[in-house]
Amino acid sequence: MRKEKQYSLKQAKARSTAQAATVFLLPALLLIAIFIVYPVIDTFIISGYKWNGISSDKVFIGLDNWKTLIHDEMFWKSFEHNIIVMVFSILLQIPLGMLLATFLDAGGKKFNLFKVIWFLPYLMSSVAIAFLFTYALATNGGMVSSLATIIHGKKVTVDLLGTAPNALFTVIGVMAWQFTPFYMVYFIAGYGNIDTTIYEAAVIDGATRWQYIKHIAIPLLAPIFKTACIMSLIGSLKYFDMIWNMTQGGPAGSTELMATYMYKLSFQQFSMGYGSTVAAGMFILITAIALLFNKVFKAKEVY
Amino acid sequence: MTKEQLKSKIAWGVAIFFACIMLVLTLTPFFFMIMNSFRKQFDMLQQGVFHLPHPWYFDNYINVVKNGFFGYFLRSVIVVGISLALMLIISAFAAYPLSRMNFKLNPLIYATIVAMMSVPMHVTLIPIFKLTTAIGFYDSLKALIGPYVAFALPMSVFILTAFMKTIPKEVEESAEIDGCNRFQNFFKIILPLSKSGLSTLAIYNGVSMWNEFAFANTLLITPAKKTLPLALGQFKGEHSLDIPIILAVLTLSVLPMIILFIVFQDKLVKGMMAGAVKG
Amino acid sequence: MNKKRVFSAILAAALTVSTFVGCGDSSSSNTPAVNTGAKQTDGKNLPELTTEPMEIVLWDIATDEPAKSTQEGAVQRFMADYPNIKVTQVHQQNDNYKQQLVVAMSSGQAPNIYVHWGGGPMAEYYKSGFANDITDMYAKYDHPDFIDAAVAQSTYDGKMLAIPFGGLSGCDIFYNKTIFEELNLEVPETIDELEEVCDTLKANDITPFALANASKWTGSMYYMYLVARHSGNAEFDAAYTQENGGSFTSDAFIYAGTKIQDWVKKGYFPDGVNSLSADDNQDRALIYDGSAAMMLHGAWQVSGIKADNEEWYNENIGVFRFPEDSEAKAKGVPQDVEIGTAIGMGLSFNCYKEDGSVDQDMLDACYVLATQYYNDDTYNNDQISTGTLPSIKGMEDTIDDPNMRIITDVFFDASNVQLWYDQYLPASVTEVHKNCMTELFGLEKTPEEIGQEQDAAMQKAIAEQ
Repeated sequence: MRKEKQYSLKQAKARSTAQAATVFLLPALLLIAIFIVYPVIDTFIISGYKWNGISSDKVFIGLDNWKTLIHDEMFWKSFEHNIIVMVFSILLQIPLGMLLATFLDAGGKKFNLFKVIWFLPYLMSSVAIAFLFTYALATNGGMVSSLATIIHGKKVTVDLLGTAPNALFTVIGVMAWQFTPFYMVYFIAGYGNIDTTIYEAAVIDGATRWQYIKHIAIPLLAPIFKTACIMSLIGSLKYFDMIWNMTQGGPAGSTELMATYMYKLSFQQFSMGYGSTVAAGMFILITAIALLFNKVFKAKEVY
Repeated sequence: MTKEQLKSKIAWGVAIFFACIMLVLTLTPFFFMIMNSFRKQFDMLQQGVFHLPHPWYFDNYINVVKNGFFGYFLRSVIVVGISLALMLIISAFAAYPLSRMNFKLNPLIYATIVAMMSVPMHVTLIPIFKLTTAIGFYDSLKALIGPYVAFALPMSVFILTAFMKTIPKEVEESAEIDGCNRFQNFFKIILPLSKSGLSTLAIYNGVSMWNEFAFANTLLITPAKKTLPLALGQFKGEHSLDIPIILAVLTLSVLPMIILFIVFQDKLVKGMMAGAVKG
Repeated sequence: MNKKRVFSAILAAALTVSTFVGCGDSSSSNTPAVNTGAKQTDGKNLPELTTEPMEIVLWDIATDEPAKSTQEGAVQRFMADYPNIKVTQVHQQNDNYKQQLVVAMSSGQAPNIYVHWGGGPMAEYYKSGFANDITDMYAKYDHPDFIDAAVAQSTYDGKMLAIPFGGLSGCDIFYNKTIFEELNLEVPETIDELEEVCDTLKANDITPFALANASKWTGSMYYMYLVARHSGNAEFDAAYTQENGGSFTSDAFIYAGTKIQDWVKKGYFPDGVNSLSADDNQDRALIYDGSAAMMLHGAWQVSGIKADNEEWYNENIGVFRFPEDSEAKAKGVPQDVEIGTAIGMGLSFNCYKEDGSVDQDMLDACYVLATQYYNDDTYNNDQISTGTLPSIKGMEDTIDDPNMRIITDVFFDASNVQLWYDQYLPASVTEVHKNCMTELFGLEKTPEEIGQEQDAAMQKAIAEQ
């Protein structure tokens, strides 16, 4: 008799939880369904057609686009570029952001000026950044070339955007310039979340600032690290804006990313069908990589 | 002890040195942006972009302001303000059950939302354009709010869920004992404790909404309805591009963000700190 | 012709007065006070336009001055003459214009009139049902006397699909007269002489050509001219169809590629040529600061440089046509092929009813707008005063800028005008071609290799048709 009642209470609680969850989740799910899920489904459907994007006759060709995609050198080259960008973005932006945040956290209020200035790049639009850097890196009187000329004492040209391997790494550098400030702020928030009494206790125990950071703060920040990595990972795998404005994938496709490739196919080359296949492929790959990353990280956390 | 102090001093010295290098790296592009916005196109191209303007030329700014800059600015403020507020409350709403409630579909819904982060924005242009024209929102500021909020949601829910998970269970349980229901819990306890996460998200999404170009360009047609990132278009022709004027527009667009950040950074940081669960 | 012009000018003046008078009298809106019947189209052989209310949506890329005023003016004059027809003119941004069109067309919201650059995309719009065939109307009704090359570029598959309005633009070599004088250099007539000039400039530490090849179509102009001088216009057609042995690996294309790489090695182009962008005027910057002496570019540079600094332009800038290949000339290859555009841009019409049949009423209105208000005297004068030459016969006499004069004469003397590759080729081939230009100037691939790549792309595009 008692047991039965308990059971139904549990059930009732579960039901009320489900109801509350539905209410809380509904607005978000609705918006995501309309503005993201539906277009994604649409993309997958279009990937089955040969279609120029504007004509009323679409020709259903089954999996032909997908077969093409698997053998499409340009797509896999773009994917490779995306992976390079991703790896270096995570390696550059996150540690650097962490370092700056640590510095600011240790310095407290008197370093506010640093914080404000360091944050500025994030406020700038990608269009502006692309423009400023094409000039700053231009071989004709650009900053880097001028600097090299001064150092060498004769005219030296440093071509950072016009040759193949350089361009990709230059772009990675510019992306780091743009996004590091965000991770900095993110880590500042993380530091802020650590209870000040923990630091005080550590100091009483005779720990130096460095020891505190290494043994206490960083482990406590682990979950923040993980989310930051996933943000950077996904962000760099679908990156478009600044590259589009700066190199349009050039020179000779050496900074072509999946997103720029997809854009060119869909909107400039009249192959919306295949462009959608690229987009769908991109979606699958990014999700898979994010999931994989999540799994690896989780396994580590357990250990 | 003195040795320790010396060591610490040296460490700080090195740190500050690198901090200053970062400062220069950060500021240089801004410096050039502002400097070149005070030149004439010819002067800039002839004198090189890295010299001080000679003479200083202010007409670019006058020109920009005369071309309806404040209208663009105001519309951007409205769209970003509404979208950001909606986005923050909706994502907090969604993150709450995902982080703190046990129900069957939780992992599935969470995974779906997170997977939506991987969607490249441009594939949604055509479906969203169709939708916008179908409901009659085309060429009005309303059209932007839906996409802006929706596109910021997956990332925000993802971050907020992680944040809310760090809030100890006991906090909520004690409130429950006091007779609060889930909604009261959310508004009275969880939301205030999530300030830190929300502040971060406000920055992250506020900036990207402020600079958003593709949706705005596709969904708005009439000049009197366009937002700030589209203001550049007036000074860009097929073959001509008045670079200094464009830089003036860019300077004027980033300025409010900088001011906002300087004014509110104290509050923002406090907001971020407020996330700490004391005792 | 002249008489007609005077007549329509008087009419236009009369109209302005009547509009002015009409404006004060706002209460009499039901009487056609604004329009006393004197239209600038009166007396011409044109379709009778509807008197019912009508709305036409027009998309262009006239975001900035002077194009904006010129094109808005044409629409205003049309609406003053036909007050029942409302033309909604939307200025799209050039960078994203193609995307905007794709989005609108695929959603059934395509504008009724839109601008384009002809070539591959125009064919694509037509094949997808977004461009009315106006061959018969063009034959039946009045229209400006467009030059043959302009009509040819507005035609696809024997059908007239667009009305030119952007003005013609040839590519020629702009040079710094002052530098040439200082170094006692003559304007070169042959490619050999051009190379001598380059060597002299090089010896004086001046970069011969200001080329910003991050934009790719800029380098493509050199490639195309060298092909044209070596073998004439037929070479382009052959490579385009890939028929009768036509190929991007033919002698002419290999010659052009080899020559360019030779020039790159000799330092005729700026260092890091692939990282300089013409969109940001980095080529013009090299001319302005005197570090480069010549620049192969489109005619719009005249108005661009003038707008930057007219005085400097008058003192320093001259222009000459791309020199001849004396060897090829001896063999009888025509040396007067011009690379450029005869239409600048064209207006195409998308006037269909919901059942898919042609909306003739609207098409008539669009035709009148494009042929009689765009391309009318006011419009043409506006164009000329800002350095653009309308693609209409007889207009060349009105030019007074000496450089513009040369550019125009070269253009009108040309036996053929070949449209730029980035507008002419099918869109998928354009992308390959542009990448090839980067690799060619970057010495990353041989002329043979880029020839084969372009052939492969072209064959693929033909197969997909």
